[in-house]
Amino acid sequence: MSFNLIIDALKNPNGFFASNPLSLLCAAFATLFFVLIVVYSLKHMKGRKGVWRYYIYTIATYVSSLGVLFAANFLILLIFWGLLGLLLYLLIAFGRKEGTPATARKALIIVGATDVLLLFGIVLVWKITAGSSGLQGLFHMPITGMGIPLSGTASIIAYLCFASAAFAKAGAMPFHTWVPDTAENAPTPVTAFLPASLDKLLGIYLLARVTLDVFQMTPTMNTILMAIGSITIVAAVMMALIQHDLKRLLGYHAVSQVGYMVLGIGTGNPIGIAGGLFHMFNHSIYKSCLFLAGGAAERKAGTGNLAQMGGLVKAIPLVFVTFLIASLAISGVPPMNGFASKWLIYQGVITSGDSLWVLWLIAAMLGSALTLASFMKLIHAVFLGQPSEGVKKILADKKGKRTALSTAIPLVVLSTLCVGIGVFAWKIPFGQLFRPELSGPVDSPGIWQSGTATLMLIAGLVIGYLIYLAGTLKKARVVAPFVGGETLEDNPDMRVSGVNFYMTIKELGLLKGIYRWAEKKLFDLYVVAGKIFAGFGILFSFMHNGILSRYFLWFIVGLVVLCIVLI
Amino acid sequence: MISAGIVPLFVAIPLAGAFLIALFKKIKGIPDIFGVFASGSMFILSILFLLKMEITQRIVYNIGNWGGFNEVLGKIVGIQLVIDGLTIFMLLIVNFVAFIVAVYSVNYMTRYTQKWQFYCLFLLMLAGMNGVLITGDLFNLFVFVEIASLASYALVAFGTEKRELEASFKYAVMGGVASLLILMGVVFLYSYTGTLNMANMAEIMSGSEQPALIYLVFGLFLTGFGLKAAMVPFHAWLPDAHPSAPAPISAMLSGVLIKTLGVYAIARVFFTIFGFPHQISIILMTLGAMSMGVGALVALRQWDMKRLLAYSSISQIGYIMLGLGIGTPLGILGALFHLFNHSIFKSLLFLDSGAVEYAAGTRDLKEMGGLSRKLPVTSGSTLAGAMSLAGIPPFAGFWSKLIIIIAAVEANHMKLAAWAVLMSIVTIAYILKVTRFAFLGALKDRFVNIKEVPVLMRISLVLLALICIFGGLLLIPEARAAFLEPAVRVLISGMGGGV
Repeated sequence: MSFNLIIDALKNPNGFFASNPLSLLCAAFATLFFVLIVVYSLKHMKGRKGVWRYYIYTIATYVSSLGVLFAANFLILLIFWGLLGLLLYLLIAFGRKEGTPATARKALIIVGATDVLLLFGIVLVWKITAGSSGLQGLFHMPITGMGIPLSGTASIIAYLCFASAAFAKAGAMPFHTWVPDTAENAPTPVTAFLPASLDKLLGIYLLARVTLDVFQMTPTMNTILMAIGSITIVAAVMMALIQHDLKRLLGYHAVSQVGYMVLGIGTGNPIGIAGGLFHMFNHSIYKSCLFLAGGAAERKAGTGNLAQMGGLVKAIPLVFVTFLIASLAISGVPPMNGFASKWLIYQGVITSGDSLWVLWLIAAMLGSALTLASFMKLIHAVFLGQPSEGVKKILADKKGKRTALSTAIPLVVLSTLCVGIGVFAWKIPFGQLFRPELSGPVDSPGIWQSGTATLMLIAGLVIGYLIYLAGTLKKARVVAPFVGGETLEDNPDMRVSGVNFYMTIKELGLLKGIYRWAEKKLFDLYVVAGKIFAGFGILFSFMHNGILSRYFLWFIVGLVVLCIVLI
Repeated sequence: MISAGIVPLFVAIPLAGAFLIALFKKIKGIPDIFGVFASGSMFILSILFLLKMEITQRIVYNIGNWGGFNEVLGKIVGIQLVIDGLTIFMLLIVNFVAFIVAVYSVNYMTRYTQKWQFYCLFLLMLAGMNGVLITGDLFNLFVFVEIASLASYALVAFGTEKRELEASFKYAVMGGVASLLILMGVVFLYSYTGTLNMANMAEIMSGSEQPALIYLVFGLFLTGFGLKAAMVPFHAWLPDAHPSAPAPISAMLSGVLIKTLGVYAIARVFFTIFGFPHQISIILMTLGAMSMGVGALVALRQWDMKRLLAYSSISQIGYIMLGLGIGTPLGILGALFHLFNHSIFKSLLFLDSGAVEYAAGTRDLKEMGGLSRKLPVTSGSTLAGAMSLAGIPPFAGFWSKLIIIIAAVEANHMKLAAWAVLMSIVTIAYILKVTRFAFLGALKDRFVNIKEVPVLMRISLVLLALICIFGGLLLIPEARAAFLEPAVRVLISGMGGGV
């Protein structure tokens, strides 16, 4: 009996599920990440208590994300979407850092709050389109083909509700603050799976579907999206520059990159949207690679504090190579995949015709440059540079030199994809891939021949290396640092860890104030809203002073007011 | 199909149980067995009524066979007991929660002495609540409200420590005044209509033009029953009283008592007798919105687990009142469904708080931490209850909140819908405080040796948690038609006439 019901549901009789090219592609990527994360977890999560629950939650997360991707109506989408928030909470709780419980709560509050907004958005859309069709209408409201114009207040609020749900899931500002915290406090595979890859796919997927299928965008709304994207890019990368925890730094980059996707979708023209979606896939590849490699480095060094790492390249060369490739990709260095999609986004911004397009373009390019800068610091601090005392001990231990197979496989696969997609990107027919989402063909005004450029780049690198070999650089002298016999208390092993590379910008005029505010968490919506609500709470708490006569007074006042109102 | 003669059993069995427990208190085990069997048989009886009755059927029982006077005098003189869709709906909830609580108490109440007194008062309270639900007579309703209230005053003071006695005193004073106002309302109404039977009253009220006196009656009933339902600004007794009672009683008070004496009575009086006039709709929505806000915001600041849950009850009652106040079929459906869900998850959460207190000996969230490792069942069931309360899909509470918000939007109360959405967010924040501080993080040293609670307590927790997870299935058309629709229909059919 119930078995038949399940069969019927799988055969999809009531049209609960549907697919389109975008959701199929997202599902393919989700499957890829799921498999890689499980492989990685075999080593990373080994020996923890209750690890079977970890795998159950991971599988449930994967299934729920498929449910979101293939949902044919909003209610199905909402159910799986909400389930993902709960699973995120449960998965973060596997972390063993001090801040883990607070992070888990923060993540579920932010995601859960936007779930409620999503619900409100759905109800508003139902009211706008089919308000008279009753509950049944709501239960079968399709996601596609609505085309609601963003003219009335209700439709604008509905769109903003949807967008905030997508932003919170993907980690765009102003709902981003759970991402860096999660990166710092959750287990590495969880971070690599959810905030870095899967949640990006789902969030941007929802944003794309809602923007392109459900609503008709207006130029104003496009400008708002592009502004949010640009601010996210620059602000998050500025925060990344000054971090001193490996995974927290990566977490801020995960936020920054979402800005590009939002910017791309906000351009409203086919090439920009294609670029945004393409960037979403690329991002999830290199960012999960970065997190997994970073997690491996952290596990090796026993700490995530950049000041206590360094010189790990000798201990884990494979991890270093993959990390390097992924960080070149995230910085948008050609010919990696990150460049290919950023290139499309730049063209989209230029052709968008928005009056402020120069500003958005500068933000996007500046973001790329700053990303590169921050990764130079990171690679120096973690892999290159002089090893810290702790790392020296690890290097001395010959046994630990091999990277475990279950760690190596995901890293190699992901970094190969970074290069492969980048070099062959121009062969991917974007116009076909995202066809239903776009209103027209993708015509790229810019010229980029990936293959030729790659060859030229390789040639350049080879020539450079030859010059290095032939030149005098080889004769550089290596000596121990000498500071006049003084012992330095701040830096006992007398080395430059790289943590303070960009501390200067914290002292620059206007930025100084902004950074100080950011450190006080004045830009964290979660903290600010929490304070406001707590303020009201204090107000009402004062009124509950436990004195009977006071309570009695309210009672009488209530009675009198009610009688006056009624008569 | 079903004989009207068994209707009085809903009051008779718990009353007899209470009496017998007092009689056989010396024999070990008797209070437990009688308590569980009395509430269990009530639950089975309610299921029987649910299965056997037609959707629109109304079973009437004339106490002492006074119904004969109807033909002679043209009006009903004696007390009638009436069972309709709404009554069955409420009876099922009340007796189910009571049964679960009785099972839980077998283990839990070993913390206290004088267990027989507990079960005696518990069954007395149950008799009062069932009486409120089945009576068709307004004065009789008042009497049963008083029986249930008196039993609950005593139960709040059951610990007989300083705090419990203070809370019970406050509760008794406030509750006593509220009962007085209700009685005054009944008196005024009787003087106007000349009958105490609710069906007769409804006929008279729907006829002629109403005097201004009726509005005074509205005010008296709203205040009196509003206090029993703990609506803002009549809620102040609740945050003291509910945490002071033993955990199973907190579960009964928050889970079903405030709904039976408050929400059900308001719905019955204003829908069935007065035909739901427009002013009442606006007042219920306003008070509901206020309750939602005040309860949720103050709950955010609490560190005592049970006190937090008590404030949360005020906030959730606000949702139910909002749904009732909207007054559309959808709104009433949402309100009743939320009433059901709230009974389940709030009893569950209070029982969980009792389980934590039983195992770890504290209610202060700041002192807890990492308990999920030692108390897996308690932690898991708390999470299920919390998610249902927070309205995270696909847990049961999500569906009822969804319907209430839809109803508000459908009736064009956009601001109320937005307010309900905002307060849902606050709800998520405060309930996660419980799960985060109690169960996540590193286990504190003093809790290394604690054990999971005894088996009967675990069974009750798991049962309630399962309903929290799968409760949404009640919205499937077949289940809805059997369980929710008849109750909604009763309230809808009461509307239309009146002032």
